This record gives sequence, C-alpha cells and structure tokens, in this order.
Amino acid sequence: MSESYDYLFKFLVIGSAGAGKSCILHQFIESKFKDNSSHTIGVEFGSKIVKVGGKSVKLQIWDTAGQERFRSVTRSYYRGAAGALLVYDITSRDSFNALSNWLRDARSLAGPNIVILLVGNKKDLDAKREVTFLEASKFAQENELIFLESSAKTGENVEESFLKCSKTILSKIETGELDPERIGSGIQYGDLKHLQTNNTARRQPDCVCRPL
Amino acid sequence: MAVMGDFKQKFSGLLNKLGNQSRLSLSSPSEEVLKPISNEGFVSTPSKEDVKPPEEPAEILSDDEILESVEKEYFKELDFDPSRHELKKIGETLICDEILSHSERLHRQQKVVSKKVLSQILTNQRACNEEFERIQNLQSILRETLSICRDGRSKLNTGKQQLTTTSLGILANYRKRQLLRGILHSLNTIKTLQRSEEHIQVLLSESRYEDAISELLECQSAATSLKRFACVAALSGKLVDTLVMTEEQLDVALGKICEKFDETLYGQLQAAYALLGKTQAAMDQLHMHFTSAIQNTALKVIKSFVGKSESVVATSGKQYNELCKKVKEENFIPCLQELCSSLWRIVCSHHRVALWHQKHTVDKGTNKGADLEVSFTNEYIRQKLESMQARIWQDVQARFSTYLFSTDLASFKFDNFLQVLGFVHRLMEVGEEFCGSQSEELQKSVRLQSENYFAKYHAGCLEELRIFLENESWTHCPVKSDFTCLQLQEFRSLRGVIQNIGLHEQQKLQQSPDSSNQSQDSNSVAGGYFSRFSESGTPFDLANFDLQEEDILANISDEASGYFSDDSDEEVPEELKGDFVDEGHGDPSVHTSQVAVRFENCGRVRFEQKKVTRSKGRSSLPKGPLLTNTTLTVLRHCGKYLQMSRLLRTVAMDVIICLSQLFQYYLYAVHAFFTTDLAVSQPNLYSVKLQAALKRINAELIRPEKQPSAMVQINQDDKKKVPQPHISPIVNINDPESLFGLSERVVAVESLVFLADQLDSIRPYLEHLVRHEPRKHYIQQFYLQMVSVASDLRLPVYACISGRALDLRTMLNMMARVNWEIKEVSSQHSPYVDSVLRDMQIFSMRLEEAASHLFISKDVHNTLWEALVIVCCSTFVEGFSNAKKCATGGRALMQLDFTQFISKLEKLTTLRPIPHKEYVELYVKAYYIPEEQLEKWIREHTQYSSKHLQTLIQCACQNNKKTRQRLSGVIEEMERLGLIK
Ligand SMILES: Nc1nc2c(ncn2[C@@H]2O[C@H](COP(=O)(O)OP(=O)(O)OP(=O)(O)O)[C@@H](O)[C@H]2O)c(=O)[nH]1
Ligand SMILES: [Mg+2]
Repeated sequence: MSESYDYLFKFLVIGSAGAGKSCILHQFIESKFKDNSSHTIGVEFGSKIVKVGGKSVKLQIWDTAGQERFRSVTRSYYRGAAGALLVYDITSRDSFNALSNWLRDARSLAGPNIVILLVGNKKDLDAKREVTFLEASKFAQENELIFLESSAKTGENVEESFLKCSKTILSKIETGELDPERIGSGIQYGDLKHLQTNNTARRQPDCVCRPL
Repeated sequence: MAVMGDFKQKFSGLLNKLGNQSRLSLSSPSEEVLKPISNEGFVSTPSKEDVKPPEEPAEILSDDEILESVEKEYFKELDFDPSRHELKKIGETLICDEILSHSERLHRQQKVVSKKVLSQILTNQRACNEEFERIQNLQSILRETLSICRDGRSKLNTGKQQLTTTSLGILANYRKRQLLRGILHSLNTIKTLQRSEEHIQVLLSESRYEDAISELLECQSAATSLKRFACVAALSGKLVDTLVMTEEQLDVALGKICEKFDETLYGQLQAAYALLGKTQAAMDQLHMHFTSAIQNTALKVIKSFVGKSESVVATSGKQYNELCKKVKEENFIPCLQELCSSLWRIVCSHHRVALWHQKHTVDKGTNKGADLEVSFTNEYIRQKLESMQARIWQDVQARFSTYLFSTDLASFKFDNFLQVLGFVHRLMEVGEEFCGSQSEELQKSVRLQSENYFAKYHAGCLEELRIFLENESWTHCPVKSDFTCLQLQEFRSLRGVIQNIGLHEQQKLQQSPDSSNQSQDSNSVAGGYFSRFSESGTPFDLANFDLQEEDILANISDEASGYFSDDSDEEVPEELKGDFVDEGHGDPSVHTSQVAVRFENCGRVRFEQKKVTRSKGRSSLPKGPLLTNTTLTVLRHCGKYLQMSRLLRTVAMDVIICLSQLFQYYLYAVHAFFTTDLAVSQPNLYSVKLQAALKRINAELIRPEKQPSAMVQINQDDKKKVPQPHISPIVNINDPESLFGLSERVVAVESLVFLADQLDSIRPYLEHLVRHEPRKHYIQQFYLQMVSVASDLRLPVYACISGRALDLRTMLNMMARVNWEIKEVSSQHSPYVDSVLRDMQIFSMRLEEAASHLFISKDVHNTLWEALVIVCCSTFVEGFSNAKKCATGGRALMQLDFTQFISKLEKLTTLRPIPHKEYVELYVKAYYIPEEQLEKWIREHTQYSSKHLQTLIQCACQNNKKTRQRLSGVIEEMERLGLIK
C-alpha cells in the first residue's frame, strides 16, 4: 500500500483566497490546470513522491482555504509543517499586501524552523500584473524567503517550487539545522531511510505529528 | 338421319306413283314434296272405278292392318304406275261392286297412308327445317366464293394487261430500301451501344446507379437481339466487362455506406441491386463491408494515435492487439474517445440502413401486388439485418475489450478512470439501444479492470482518510446551514438521480423495480442516441457528456439550480454574508481586495473575536450542521465511489462495501479518540448495537498494532486492513477550562451523526444501484448495524466529559466518610451532595460558555446532561455499595441525599425526566425488601454489579447469615453465567 521513500515532509500551501493555491496543487499532482476551481472548503490534501538530490521524498501537502471564515479550521493544520508555499497573486496587490500576516501566522503556528517559499502565481497574466518581480524579491529577501514566480495555468515553476522547498529542507537536515527526530518537525523517515540507517530503536508509525 | 332420308325417298316415290296432287295444309317449302299431294282429285278418279260395296266386313280392320294390307308392289319400284297396276287387276268382266269395294278399300288404305305420312311429316319437320337452313347457308357461302373468284380473275386480268418491267424495278428498290433502313437502325443501335459505355461512366460518376444499371441491362438485351452482327459479339463482351466494373463500383459505394449513410445514395444502390436481381447478395456484401469497416476503422484510429514512428509489420490479426499496447498512456483517453466516435459512426450507419429497409419494406407491403418473391426478399433482409446487428455489436465490443485490456488502468488518475468508465457506460447504453445487447463482453472486461483499480484506489482512500483523521483538529468547518453532500462537486453528476430517487421512492416501491431502474438514469429518456446524433455529432463528444447531466438536472428539479453551485459564497453563514458579497472568482481584483482589507485588520479581528462572539450569544450562532474537514473528505470519497458504481453497475456492490468501510473507519476513529478517558465502565452508556458495531469494525477493518519484533510478518488479511488511527496531538481533551475538549468531542460525534444522516439520504440510491436481493441485504445490515449507531456514540463520548468534570473520586471519598449506621432519621443531607452539585454547576457554566461559540443542538445538550446524570447516578450506587454496614437511618439518609441531589439538579438542567433516577432509588429501596423476596429481586435486576448486590444483601440480611450465604451463592452463580458483572 505505502510506497517506499526516504523522507516524508509535511507541506502547507497558504495565501489569500483566489491566489491559486488549489490550482498549484492540482497542477503539481495531476499535471493539469483545474479551470473550474472553486473556493476550497476547509482543507484539501494531496501527496506525491518527488526525487530530490538522489533521495525520494514523499510530500504530504495540505491545501488550505484562504477564506477568512475557515481560519479556525485551517490554522490547526499549520502545526508541524516542514515547509510551506506562501502564494500570492501577481495581479492582485492586495494578496501581496496580506503576505506579512500570513507569514506571521505560519511562523508562529508551524514553528520558526518552517521553510517558506514565496510564490507569485498567475505569471501568465503579465498584462494585468500589479506586483513587480523586484518588489516581491525585496520582500522575500527581507523575510528570508525563497522566491519564485509561477503559473498554475501553464505549469511554469509549479514543480520547481515544491522541489526547491524540499531541497532546502533536505540540505537543512544534512547540515543538522533541522532535526527530523524532533517532535513536530514535520519530517519523518520513510521505509527506505530505515533500511539504510536502521539505527532508530523506536520506530515511529508513519504519522506526522504523533506524540511519542 | 339416313333412315329418315331413306324413308323420305321412298315416301316421295310413293306419292309420285300415286299421282296424288292433293294439297295438305303443310307449310313445307319444297315444291317437289307438295306437288303430288296437292292433287286430290287424282285419287278420287280411280277410286270411282274401284268402289266396292261397303257390305264387306272390312270396317273392323285397324289402321295398321290396313297399312299392312297395302300391296307390296306399291312400295317396290319408283316408276311404279299404280293406276296401271290396279287396272291390270281388273278382270275382263267389270263387276261394278267389286270395283267399288276395291276402290273403297284403296280409299281406306290411302286415308291411312295419308294419316301416317302426315304424322311422319310432323315428327320430322324440325330436322327438315334445320337441314334446309344449312343448305341455304351453304348456298350463300358459295355465292360469295364465286364473287371473290370473279373479282380475283378480273384483277388478274387487269394486272396481266398493265404490268411492266419498270414497275418490277421499283418494287425491288423499295424492298431494298426497307432492308437498308433496318440495317441502319441496327447500326445506330450498335453505335449507341458503343457510346453507352461512356454514358454509363458519367452516370456512375454522378452516383446514379439505378440509371446506370438499367441502361446497362437495356444495352445487353439490345446486344443479344443484334447477335447476328459480328461486331456486336465483341461489343457485348465489352458490355459484360462494363457490368462487372459497374458492380464493383456499386460495391465500393456500398462500402462507403458503412462510414457515412446517405439516404439517396443508398436508395440508388438498392434500386440498382434490385435491377440486377441481387438484393440478397447485396445484403451479404453489406455485412461484409460493415465487418471490415469496423476492423479497419479501429485499426486506423489506433494507428493514428500510435504515430508513424511505429512501423508495425505484424500480421493483421495480431496487429490490432499489438498496436493497442503501443498507445501511450496520456493518449489512452483521446484514443478511446476517437475509437468510440468512429465506431459510433459505423454503428449509426447500420442503424440507418435498418431504418431505411424498415421504411421501404412497408412501402412494398402496402402495394398489394407484392408477390411471394418480394416478401421473401424482405424477410431475408430483415433477418439478415437483425443477425448483422448482433454481429456488428459483437465486433465493436471485441475491439473495445482488446483496447481496454491493452493498458493497465491501475495507474490512472481517478477522474481519468471515471472518464474511461463513462465512455464504456455510454457504449453499453448505445449497445442496448442498437440491438438490445447487454454488452456482456464489454462489461466483463471493464469489470475486471475496475475491480483491480478500485481495490487499489480504495486502499489509497482509506490511507488518506487516516491521514485526515490524524491531522483533524475537530474544529467545526463552516458550511451553509442547509448543506448536504449533494452540493459537493463530487456529487454533481449524481444529484439529479439521487434526488429523483428520493422523490419517487414511494412510487418506485410500487412499480416493479426493474422497469424503474432502467429509466432512472439511463440517458435514453430524451429519444435515444440514434435519433439525436444521426446526422452530426456523436454521443461521445465531451460536450455531450456534460449536456447530459445538465439535462437530467433540468428535468428533475428546477428548484434553484444555483443551490448546487460549488461556489462557496453559498456556504457563507448568513451573518457573514455582508463581508463576503463581493468575493468570487469572477472578479479577482475585488476578490483579493476584500481579503486584504480583512487581513490588514487581521490582528484586531482576531483580538475582537472573543468579545464579538460573547455579545452575540448563542442565538446568533450559525445553526449549520456540525462537520469537520474529514467529514467532507469522507463525503467527497463517497461521491467519487458512487460515480464509479453509477457507471458500472457490476462493481456497485464492491464500491458500496468500500464506502461503508470509510464510514466505519470514521466511526471507529471518533470512538477511539474520544472515549479513552472514560472513567466509569458503564453498560448503560453503550447500546448493544454500538458495542457490536465497534467489535466488528475492530475485527474486520483495523490492523492490529504491530509488534516491534514481528513487524515483517503481516499476514495477508491484515494487509487489507487499516492501521489504528491516532488522535492529532494538537487536540487537547484534558483541559478542564474547555470542559475536557467538549467542543472537539461534540464536533466529532455530531459530524459522525451528520455523516450518518447523509448516508441515510443516499440510501435509496445505494439500494437502487444494487438489484441483487442478497446484496441488498448487505446494505440493510450496514444501515442497521453501523449507520444507525452513530448517535449512540454520543453517550459514551459525552460521559467522558462528565466523568472528568465531576470529581468522582472526591465524591466517593466523601461518601465513604458518611456514617450510614445511624439509627435515627437525619434531616440534613450529606456534604458530598453539595460537592457534586457544585461540580455540576461549574459544568453547566462551562457548557454555556462552550455553547456561545459552538452551536450545540438541543439533542446534544440533553445528551451531555444525560451522560452527566448517568455518571453521577452510577457513582451514587457505587458509593452506597461501598457501605458494608448500614442501618435504616443510614438508608433513609441515602434517600434524602439523593432526593436533595435530584431537586437541585432539576434546577440546573431542563432535561426531563431525569434519567436513571430509578437506578439509584431502586438500589436504595431494595434494602427494605423482605428476605424471601430478595432472591427474586436480585435475579431481576441485573443492571447492578455483583459487588453492588453483595453489599446489598450484606446490609439487608445483616442478621440472617444463612440467607446471606445463600443469596451470595446466587449472585456468584449469576456472575459466573455472565448475567452480571
Ligand atoms: N490565469 C491564471 N489563473 C489562475 C492561475 N491559478 C489560478 N487561477 C485562477 O484563479 C482562481 C482561483 O484559483 P484557486 O486555486 O481556486 O484559488 P485558491 O487560492 O485555492 O482559493 P481558496 O481555495 O479560496 O483559498 C481560479 O479561477 C483559477 O482559475 C494561474 O496561474 N493563471
Ligand atoms: Mg483553494
């Protein structure tokens, strides 16, 4: 039933409603643009195994609703996330302006170690652009975020976003900056890793955030 | 006649001899006959001489005798002279008398003879007349002949006089001219014959087959009539060639009919074949064309998707098979669609051919002149078409089966797989309409694929459900108050059907289930695919798929289709709508501006939230169903499962079993997550059904926790099972402030109840999907044993809160400190009652607090209190049963305490009647039961534990050791038998 992988990362996709979060996830998993996308109710879920730096990583991705009324539901999913895609819509200054709030929420709820990737979505609508690349890059730099512009429609940079985020997490694990063993790290060893290392006495069941 | 003639001759001779001229009054035209008779005087002359005296006794003689007596001589010779004869007889002596008598005798004789003659004449007159007429005829014919001969003679004479050599020359020339004209005509015919070849080609190019063939046939018959010309022999050979060629063209045209039916063209072809007398052969040919058209088209489609790079040089038999395998996965669906559309065109053509024949057979039938031959042909065609239909569908199915099997669908995305199923489902509908086929082969192949696919898919769903459950915060997910699962996108294609079934459930029960099943969601309602797509389009165009669903929706309920839109604006709670009006994907700029405004104030909003909700109070809370993110996930999966079973009835049962597992897992998780801290094990809390359900789920669905050592050994059975779920660590059920996770527990249990409600609402549809009775039984069992127990879970879960909200340990400790051995009746209740009531007061307050930000229904409210009371009551009994020694005063105090408790409780809760009051009261009062009745009472009250009962008899039979021991034995036995705990 469960495939083999080295790591399992818990990911979040957050950002204002209509930024294109669900479309990004759909594009990433189904390789198709979901043109009849409607507002997400609560939280949706998707998972995919990717190859990053010779390791196979299973991404467990939670696509949250951007609408305010779902905040209480969605916030509970922040906890123990290893990475997050913070999405705004380049054709909407307002979605960009809301970023700092989202960022604050993510850092406080998910933990300071969460790796956040800023995604400016709807790159294909360049004519309607309200937020310049430069401006967003500046914001990213100030907040120590990795930044990419993507299009869920054309698929540009969608997979790259997830890969880049995963890569960063992986390198942080390797440098010891992140400790997968720590509770609520949002990282788990997969079956493959176990076979390789096989030194962990207490085997975690493959749930993200279970107390040990 | 000859005798007659003979007699006549004699007779006329006789008359002549007699010389009798007497005229008889006869109208005989013959002079010769009349002449002798007319002369009467002649007879009388000789009679004068022969007269004899009449004394002779001759009178007595009869006519015959008289006739006899006529002398022979009179009849002998023709030139007999009677007068002489008589005169000769007269002797020398003339005796007058003798002569007279003789004359007299002769007279008499003559009279007789005359009479005789007259009678003879009368009898023969008719024959005489006829003969006479004939003679006259002959005469006139002779006269004519004579005149013809005369005319001829005279003309011959003229000819003889006028004929010359020139005239003869003219005649000869004339004859020659006639002959030449004949030849010219023939030559002209031959010329047209030669030209007709070209004309036929023109006709053929214009597809005027009927005219072409009729012309050809005309030419042929003309050619045979001109066989005497040497050149015609060659020409008719050529005509035969042309005919052969034309028939080939006809055949080609017939082949084209398979791809695209053309009514006029087909009419032409049929007429042409009819002229050739090959109507039947044409049908056979047509069948062959259809068969090969299916083969070639399928192959062509597949080839076009495989691409030119793949050069396949395999034998044609295996070719299709091999090619199918080469279709790339991403091309599978477009290729399937193309295959459907292309083969649809062929099937449709055949359908129209059949229709054509139907129409035209009728035409011939009304024509009374239809002979046996025609009706025989019609019958042949009909049968042929019928068998052809079955065969064609068989072929089509085979093509699809091969194609479907060529790819492993297991790796397909669900939506894509559904799409495949959608196509196949549509195909089967077409098959049904085309020839009433159930498409068994197709069904079989797709069923196999589906089973594999679905098993894998379901495992994934369960796994996903587990992840959801383990991440679930059990927070209420806001949806609009009238939310039902039908509003989810996953149910979109099912809404119509489910609602329809819901509406017509009653009617359906009355109708025979099969007939209604057919019409429920077969799309043939609107006039069949063949009539709708006969000219253009196919039922397999993607646009038509959507149209279908919409159609159904429109037919069934026109009440606000907007309801079904997944647009979440719909789901905004009433009081929030103001803020969300402009939100929507239609206008992204507005959409996001709203978000931003909200977000800028985010901190403040959140900060103010508590205040706002407080002031709002309970009444303004959204009264929507309580459900969680995970509930939605389960419902979404249900929708997907049902979509699949709708498209493939044969897997419906597997799908429903899986669907039931999703619910069971949810039920199990809620129970596992929220009853771990159940303080009192109380049989009163669990219904029998709930216990059974949990036990079954645990045994059938949940994989036992792995032993760290033997983790490799997972048996096959367990592989299909799901791991034990674990509650997310962010859920805190230990905080007394929040009543030990009251809101989480309420949301969890109520979301389960909501899920059960939703399953109830789709039950008719599930039953509709499964026609097989024993399988229906499974559904019934599922609803009875699993779905209906959802609300039973309230009590145990809420009792956990009660058990912790009340400080039961302290209560028991305080009860132990009460002196139950007092003799006099006290007027003051014990302090523990106040303590527990205080706990209850706090509970009540916290409940109010919780209710201010979470909608708690009356039902839930009551159940929460009920659980509290149950826990309390059991603690009362437990505490009482701890008193090993007890006097009547103590017993009375117990009653007092409990009455005090109840009266205070009634002020705290609106729950009426207070449940389980009896449980405590009965126990306390049992103390007063006479010893002889105690055994009966014990046997009847198994709700108490053996410990309770043991203490009871210890107190009740304080002074009678024997009874005590006997009753103790009874209790032990009951415990052994498992009647009590
Ligand atoms: N042109 C274009 N449109 C996009 C793109 N991504 C998303 N959209 C459109 O933007 C709208 C919102 O997309 P969603 O993915 O539903 O937005 P969301 O962030 O999930 O919204 P919530 O679920 O409400 O939080 C949809 O109408 C999409 O079609 C993109 O890259 N290009
Ligand atoms: Mg979304």
